[in-house]
Amino acid sequence: MTDATSDLPSGKPVTTAHASLLTESPKMKKRNAAEARFKMYGIFAITLGLAFLIFLTFSILRNGIPAFTQTVVNVEFTLTQEQFDEAESKMLKTAAYTEIFVNNITEQFQERGLDVEFDGGTVERLLGKVGGDLRSFYRDNPSQIGQPVDFQLSAASRVERYLQGKLTRDMVVDGRFLEAADLDVVDAMVAAGIIGTAWDWNFITGTDTGVDNPGGAGIGASVIGSFFMMVVVLLLSLPIGVAASIYLEEFAPKNRFTDLIEVNISNLAAVPSIVFGILGLAVFIQFAHLPQSAPLVGGLVLTLMTLPTIVISTRASLKSVPPSIRDAALGVGASKMQSVFHHVLPLAMPGILTGTIIGLAQALGETAPLLLIGMVGYVAREYPDGIASGLLDPNSAMPAQIYTWAARSDEAFFEKAWGGIIILLIFLLTMNIIAIILRRRFERRW
Amino acid sequence: MNDMTPIDRKMSTMQDVKISAKGVQVYYGDTHAIKDVDVDIADKTVTAFIGPSGCGKSTFLRCLNRMNDTIDVARVMGDIRIDGEDIYDAKVDPVQLRAKVGMVFQKPNPFPKSIYDNVAYGPKIHGLARNKAELDDIVEKSLRKAALWDEAKDRLQAPGTGLSGGQQQRLCIARAIATAPEVLLMDEPCSALDPIATAQVEELIDELRQSFSVVIVTHSMQQAARVSQKTAFFHLGNLVEYDDTDKIFTNPQDPRTESYISGRIG
Amino acid sequence: MSNTLILLIILGLGVIGFIMGRARAMAVADGDRRNLHSLPVYYAANVGLNAIVPACIVLFIWLIAQPFFINNSVSGMIDQDRIAEGSSLSLVMSDVRRVAEGLDVAVAEGAMSAEMASDIRTEFSNVRERLAEVGVALGSGVTSETLQAAQSYRAMALTGNWLKTIIVLLVSVAGLAVSWRMITRDYRARNIVEKGIMLVLIGAASIAILTTVGIILSLIFNTYEFFKLYSAWDFFFGTNWAPSFSGRGGSSELGILPLLWGTLYISVIALLVAVPIGLFAAIYLSEYASKSVRSIAKPMLEVLAGIPTIVYGLFALLTVGPLLVEVFGDGGALGVTWMSGGTAVMTAGLVMGMMLIPFVSSLSDDIINAVPQAMRDGSLGLGATHSETVRQVIIPAALPGIVGAILLAASRAIGETMIVVLGAGAAARLSLNPFDAMTTVTAKIVSQLTGDSDFSSPVALVAFALGISLFVVTLGLNIFALYIVRKYREQYE
Repeated sequence: MTDATSDLPSGKPVTTAHASLLTESPKMKKRNAAEARFKMYGIFAITLGLAFLIFLTFSILRNGIPAFTQTVVNVEFTLTQEQFDEAESKMLKTAAYTEIFVNNITEQFQERGLDVEFDGGTVERLLGKVGGDLRSFYRDNPSQIGQPVDFQLSAASRVERYLQGKLTRDMVVDGRFLEAADLDVVDAMVAAGIIGTAWDWNFITGTDTGVDNPGGAGIGASVIGSFFMMVVVLLLSLPIGVAASIYLEEFAPKNRFTDLIEVNISNLAAVPSIVFGILGLAVFIQFAHLPQSAPLVGGLVLTLMTLPTIVISTRASLKSVPPSIRDAALGVGASKMQSVFHHVLPLAMPGILTGTIIGLAQALGETAPLLLIGMVGYVAREYPDGIASGLLDPNSAMPAQIYTWAARSDEAFFEKAWGGIIILLIFLLTMNIIAIILRRRFERRW
Repeated sequence: MNDMTPIDRKMSTMQDVKISAKGVQVYYGDTHAIKDVDVDIADKTVTAFIGPSGCGKSTFLRCLNRMNDTIDVARVMGDIRIDGEDIYDAKVDPVQLRAKVGMVFQKPNPFPKSIYDNVAYGPKIHGLARNKAELDDIVEKSLRKAALWDEAKDRLQAPGTGLSGGQQQRLCIARAIATAPEVLLMDEPCSALDPIATAQVEELIDELRQSFSVVIVTHSMQQAARVSQKTAFFHLGNLVEYDDTDKIFTNPQDPRTESYISGRIG
Repeated sequence: MSNTLILLIILGLGVIGFIMGRARAMAVADGDRRNLHSLPVYYAANVGLNAIVPACIVLFIWLIAQPFFINNSVSGMIDQDRIAEGSSLSLVMSDVRRVAEGLDVAVAEGAMSAEMASDIRTEFSNVRERLAEVGVALGSGVTSETLQAAQSYRAMALTGNWLKTIIVLLVSVAGLAVSWRMITRDYRARNIVEKGIMLVLIGAASIAILTTVGIILSLIFNTYEFFKLYSAWDFFFGTNWAPSFSGRGGSSELGILPLLWGTLYISVIALLVAVPIGLFAAIYLSEYASKSVRSIAKPMLEVLAGIPTIVYGLFALLTVGPLLVEVFGDGGALGVTWMSGGTAVMTAGLVMGMMLIPFVSSLSDDIINAVPQAMRDGSLGLGATHSETVRQVIIPAALPGIVGAILLAASRAIGETMIVVLGAGAAARLSLNPFDAMTTVTAKIVSQLTGDSDFSSPVALVAFALGISLFVVTLGLNIFALYIVRKYREQYE
């Protein structure tokens, strides 16, 4: 076959065709290098994407986890009967307690050879109104007088940030909240080993605070707000979405009206969420005069936003039920409506529920429309006291609460915002896991 | 073709061995698709693989240019040599191999590009042309060889997907020969074509024999009889019989071959 | 009577109808259900639904129509010439409504008797003070005209409510009675009920249309109001964005161009990040990756798409922004002073790009997988390497679909709100420096409409004009992209 190339289309001998398969031609070397490069780009892209994910997760966890703990000062404290009587006889009773506390701590410092001077003002800036707390404790529990009691006092958020290294000495210029000298006391407390951290339940169960108290802010009330919104979304979007899907998938004749609905649904799925916010503002608040910031309004807006998602996934599950099931039902004399409601719908239900949960998860994290219906300006200081109040009274919602905190000027709120994100993501993760389990459990291959 | 004399066939079988396969085994996952096949394929000859569907003839064909590599679960064992070189050697680049062993597929699969670009694709990636004029030349010669030039010369820039089925398959053949292969593998090249297009392609195959070693997988015994000089009969992954085509069709040695040829199995 | 109560009564009538219908069906069948055309439950449901549905429809229409009707007739009473300078009919009307509500509250709290509320005159008493006593604050003194309008507003609303209650309940009872009377052995109750259910299904499906109509109407009406106060030319071609909140926004400059520029700039950066990474990731996952790598990497990447945008916003504001300042800011790692603050086009663009990666990659992945295997075989069979096959055969074949995917991603980027609100800054400017803070259409919609928005000043109304621009652009992109993708799918089907 030496003349194999003699009548090749090119009419010229082509060297590559003669080459042995066992040796790599220079041309091939170049091509293989290009191949390897191309593959590297792909690996690089995936790695970059995953690196983004890891970076994001890392910064959420690193910044958010401190929100769940608070810095506390653990003090063993003994109040004698004389001290109690003496303090109670004074005009400024809480100040007296504060003084006793100051003396006690100073003693503890001196035992350890630490020499720091401080007064009641410092204590208040670092630990809040300690005197009042002590007084009410001993008045409620007189039996504890004369015995050593362990107190856990939560430290101000600035102390916490100082300990985390986010606040440095030269940043402490505004003496209203913290003075530079106070930090010496904090250092001494660290040296004495009485500063520790404790789980902060208040963050999970508490309500939002004003701008001046970042330490006490909690996300609880807005979780309830989100919950009421999700109830509204579920109650409206599931039946409406399923009804619309059944019509489009099982009954709709092929005509202009049906086409119009189809086009509308696929376009609504891609309309920016902020536009739904405008719709909510104009229709529900401006036109229908529903209350601003109410979870009901938020729920209505999110329902409209979620409907296309639910309709699309529901139609897919209805489509996956084989026609033979419908034929079988029609064959025994069921009406079309009965065949759908008795056979097709129950078989499609797991798929529909999966789609609904994913739609709800999407709605739960949505923020932009909530900004427009007034959920952001509102400071959720209270839990709603009942179902009607939960739906109609102004409240915040988790993502809106996170935004509110992120938008405040006091950096101490940022930690709360990150912590809020962890809670939000835990909810989303749970919902998605439930959806995955549902899908695995009930997945049916026809 | 049909009027080919037995003497032609005898002459063609005298050629040297181009491909030699020994003890080839192929597994698709747990399925044993090819069982211990030995075959020598001669140069400048049309060799036909026949057999009922699922007998492994296409699988074996795809071993010859290592197209089975693209299927994750396929494993090939045994020894296949082209011009004495083991094509499954670790040093062999399947890409280089495929340039040497071209392939035409069952369904015409022109790229969604112009007719010209379809044919020029192979020469471009292999760097066969030094300039545009040479490339034009290769394209023209390939199209002429594939008997498509007269129909396509006025619309070289039209999309290849716009041609008729038979034209598309001839375009794919032109595309394959443009890379100057030494062996041309054809996997049921006429199964998607009508009788007229089939006749054109068969005529083409017979002409290609002068330049290449052609291996063709076919369902149709008549086609094998018309175009090939050697025929291999596969059954259930085994190579049952391999001999000159006229011998297989007139005097098969194995009872299974006889049953298949007389239409009792398959 | 309150609407909730009316609704409850209707529902009660429905239940009664259900029970009565079932009883009558069994009665006409002589107690044997086999004598009936349909199952008894269908007769019952028919009566129940007839009692509920028409009444609810009437109630719904009434609730929408009544305020319109009253508004129109009351505003007819107000003399056009008497409207103060700088005010408008809609402002006067909102005053009227507020006074009317105030009077309602006053009556409810017992501070005024019902007669007093309808007869009180500004000439004799200071209405503003009287209302303030019960906790209703009014901005300005109440003119006699406003008060009279408010009083007739109240009177009409009262009559309207009574009429509504009576008519709705009558409709409900009539529906119940008629359908109950019609029950016979051969009455095709199932067919009727199924028709009713069908109507409900069609109604549910029509909500999609209603939503779109709602969006368009609310945007158009408010935009129309805006263009009455502010010239459309200045809005679409103005290069300065400087809303002034004093003096009812009279001296504001509201040009959309700086916002469009910011939107475009951020979207382009986002796409520059997302498209190459997403596309290469998709190519690797669909062409090279082994099954196990694919089964891990693909869902991991898609996690990025499931994270709410507020998380990305916070990430941009608090992590990426400061990080970029450390590199490009004053005293940063590069020794340049391009960046003065954490919020910038680059910050928002980068983070938005991250968010869009899975969007591009999973759409492209689907599209690349839709390219027939025969194309790959054809190319590989000619001795092309895998990457040559991808670059020269698969990508060109998939190109229309990939372009569609990129357009969909672009429409996402343009409509994205939270990342830009938190990450891009608030200053509207036409600058080329990607490290400058800029703002976008969506961010300005948020800032113009949050807080106590007064829907009569151009500063708030401009948000609707921005909204309609955003809606039109994204809708156009979506329709075009979906069209391209569909065309592409058809090609290989």
